[in-house]
Amino acid sequence: MSPDQHREKALKIERSLAKLAPHLVEIRIEAAMLAGTHWLNAALHHLGANKPESDVMHTYMLTVNEFRRLSAADAALVAMLAEIEDLRPLHVRGDVPGGQDAADQACALLGRIRQMAENLAISANARLQ
Amino acid sequence: MLVSSHLEKIDRFEAAMASLDPLEDFELWFWSAMVSGTNAVNAALHLARITPAEHAFPSQPGVYYVPDEKGHRPVLKELGDVLHVGRPPIKAPVSQDIQRMMHAMEKIEAFRDPCTRGDMQISAQIVQECQGAYSECMQLLRKQLEENQT
Repeated sequence: MSPDQHREKALKIERSLAKLAPHLVEIRIEAAMLAGTHWLNAALHHLGANKPESDVMHTYMLTVNEFRRLSAADAALVAMLAEIEDLRPLHVRGDVPGGQDAADQACALLGRIRQMAENLAISANARLQ
Repeated sequence: MLVSSHLEKIDRFEAAMASLDPLEDFELWFWSAMVSGTNAVNAALHLARITPAEHAFPSQPGVYYVPDEKGHRPVLKELGDVLHVGRPPIKAPVSQDIQRMMHAMEKIEAFRDPCTRGDMQISAQIVQECQGAYSECMQLLRKQLEENQT
């Protein structure tokens, strides 16, 4: 998908996320993962690291080589998405206490990912002008 | 995970679905139905003694987080909760009802990538198909819960 399509999808998911009560921890973490992945893909396309036809689904599904290559493009973005993904086994597929804190953490990470991806888009668009 | 925890998660996913508009908020409405339905399948597999009801949470097929003295650690484990129907596949024979639940979930899963990660146009018909499959899956779980109580 193009960077603009990823951006549109990420913002749509975030609008839906805003409708959810804080205690709905599982879907808030999943929403952060889904929207964060769209932001990461938009950023990787802007950086020229991936073409629009090549999208990341989950960082843990990347080969080690690919993880390192994309981390070279933007280590912080890849690491923040991985941090959200790492909350899933214990708090989405598990019943470990502290789910609401984990969901808050996922949403905070999503906010940081969005900000960085938006900044990259502004820089990429400025270069084109 | 324990059956009671699967049921609590289903309650929260259904509360999320009720807060969302199936068309306007399709991605999260759909994702809630998909993960809720997967919890139902896992609960049914536990009730049928096909997979263990335990404190072990999957991160990928064959890898589960289990409690240890410091919190949780990943271990290799063959049998446990599925992440999605088919991941990992259940090799043991399952009842017709569980097969129907899995088939219903496959109908939902077919929309996962095109609609949440791709640009497939969301329609009322897709919502209706997902809702129908989800309702069937939940009705079959309720049946198994009732049978298990008697």
